[in-house]
Amino acid sequence: MFSVTRLIDVSADHLARVADSLENLTVDGPARHAIVAPTLAGSRNGGDLLLHLRFETQDDWQSVAAEFESALTDPAITRVTGADYHGAATVVADRTPGTVYRTLLLRVEPDTDAETVNRFEADLCALPGYVSSIGAWQLTRPAHTVGATEWTHVFEQEFSDADGIMGPYLMHPFHWAVVDQWFDPECPNAIVRERVCHSFCESPAHALR
Amino acid sequence: MADGPVYVVDRVVTRPGRAKDFIDCYLAEYAPGARDRGMSLRDILVSPPIWFADQVNTVTITWSLPDARAWWEMTWKSRPDASIGQWWDAVAGLVSERSRSVAAAPDDIDGLCDV
Repeated sequence: MFSVTRLIDVSADHLARVADSLENLTVDGPARHAIVAPTLAGSRNGGDLLLHLRFETQDDWQSVAAEFESALTDPAITRVTGADYHGAATVVADRTPGTVYRTLLLRVEPDTDAETVNRFEADLCALPGYVSSIGAWQLTRPAHTVGATEWTHVFEQEFSDADGIMGPYLMHPFHWAVVDQWFDPECPNAIVRERVCHSFCESPAHALR
Repeated sequence: MADGPVYVVDRVVTRPGRAKDFIDCYLAEYAPGARDRGMSLRDILVSPPIWFADQVNTVTITWSLPDARAWWEMTWKSRPDASIGQWWDAVAGLVSERSRSVAAAPDDIDGLCDV
């Protein structure tokens, strides 16, 4: 699979129009899954509109990339950040498909050694096992990033619902006592120091499956 | 889901002969802001319990918070505050190495994990 994620800052007066223009581009297009949706309350640095496309191949994306990139130059859009990446999601057995798509864009400090990055990634990959509201997930190093920050990782999940983010995901000790040490500037072993993008939206179509 | 107190533990190996200076500095400069962010100081332990002039000490400082949500509220206040990182940088001359961990009482673990 090849995925494309864009977090779009757009003024409220134009959000519906911009969403419609992007939605129209997904109709009958090559994307296997497409999300164009307003971000939900609780997103942080996550844009106003979330665009997420999943293709069978990168060539499928390339066949429509110019149209999307043109639409994203709309003057009502004040910022676009995002990433393009290969990879497949992991579906967690025995969990119901989710209705909320969430993405985390993050940048690991560039001087971090490979072994430390591996341990960080292992902790992220272990997290969905502890969080019962995650039905599917994917951790990926992007091939291409968009915006001011060169993101090193995209960590996506399909959540049961928005409460599944604010409840089980935030509150499980594996999150706040293990994973978060990599992000907490008060922890000397933190390796994610730039502000992350935490963005989520309604996604009834089970985007990661 | 059952909540229980969450403990933040700073373990600091001080530079030789600097343990008392570090603790004085921590209490005077770091602790007030930490309390403002919702943390309560539980205790400070020094090992070995000697004010060495030329050897390191390990200082273990334990803070408590009422529950996991309070921990998130604390950290959401601290992260945008650049002065906290600057404080840790400023006391680097007193610190040989340090870690921060988060813990809970054994009896609370099952409840904390039941989310």
